[in-house]
Amino acid sequence: MDGERVWEVFRQEDEGDPMMHSGNVNAPDEELAMHYAREMYGRRGESHRLWIVAREAITELDDPDLLKPPFDRSHKKPGGYVIKHKLQAAKERAASEAGE
Amino acid sequence: MAESPPLDATSREALAELLLSVADDEFVIGFWDSEWTGIAPMLEEDVATSSIAQDEIGHAKVLYELLAELTDEDADRIAFERAPDAFRHASLMNHARGDWAFSVARRYLYETADQVRLAALAGSTYEPLALLAGKMRREETYHLMHADTWLRRLADGGSVGRDRLSNSLECLWADAQEIFAPLIGEETLVREGILPEPMQAMSMTWQARVRPKLEPICGALPAATPSIDGRMRRTSDFAWLHGEFTSVARSEEAATW
Repeated sequence: MDGERVWEVFRQEDEGDPMMHSGNVNAPDEELAMHYAREMYGRRGESHRLWIVAREAITELDDPDLLKPPFDRSHKKPGGYVIKHKLQAAKERAASEAGE
Repeated sequence: MAESPPLDATSREALAELLLSVADDEFVIGFWDSEWTGIAPMLEEDVATSSIAQDEIGHAKVLYELLAELTDEDADRIAFERAPDAFRHASLMNHARGDWAFSVARRYLYETADQVRLAALAGSTYEPLALLAGKMRREETYHLMHADTWLRRLADGGSVGRDRLSNSLECLWADAQEIFAPLIGEETLVREGILPEPMQAMSMTWQARVRPKLEPICGALPAATPSIDGRMRRTSDFAWLHGEFTSVARSEEAATW
């Protein structure tokens, strides 16, 4: 069909859940995109809400210089801090305080 | 579920006619539209059309079940073991699938009429039917949106689509009236509130609603009223479809599906 565009569809399973990317549909405009998103990602009652976004409205970032820096960045990951023992000690302290 | 007052034999017979007429409309249009599966204008539309067709057959299923309960029959047998002459769908559903514009025209005419009919049935004193009509209305809202989207699209999308749509609307206009053809036992149904509004009144509501939408597309539509045999006529197109939709059931008669 002429003038077909791609629309990305995001789905929320229940109120309050995050919107998750489900896939996409081809449609010439917003109105049919809505119908097709509903059929593809909502006809079995599996969705509470859909977001339908024209692909060209999405700002994409995939520059490896920005996303995959060449140096060690492990200190920026939560795993870089070992808090297991601190957490354990804090729990014990809280338990003994509560018991007093 | 609230217990409906017991019906006398006359009311029960009339109610059975009503249920059968609505169920057969849904069943037959569902099967015609399912003829688009695999060949609709684009993949997404293929899924949408097939899904809507499936919804209609789903509505027919619950209506046949309601009927089966009332008449102590089997829903599958009502659906798949009746002869073509025993069907009670309106003449609108006697035509083969046709081209895309023809199917859009028929769906639009049907969905708008069904909307008027369901709004009335939702107020039926026969509680199980009122509940069911309420549920069906929710799903039909989407069906109507879809049909309306395509009607506008073809009407505004250039002369080829517009001409085909216009010709189809003119061709189907008279037969679409028959959705409101008088039912056997209709006076009883109206008196008991099982049918809250006479068919004739619904027909006028529907015409007032669709004429302003359709006449800008196809010009003035002739005065038209439902006819007494509007649900009795059968065509060779329907005989073919009947052969199709009964073929699986016929292939293994005693089977459990």
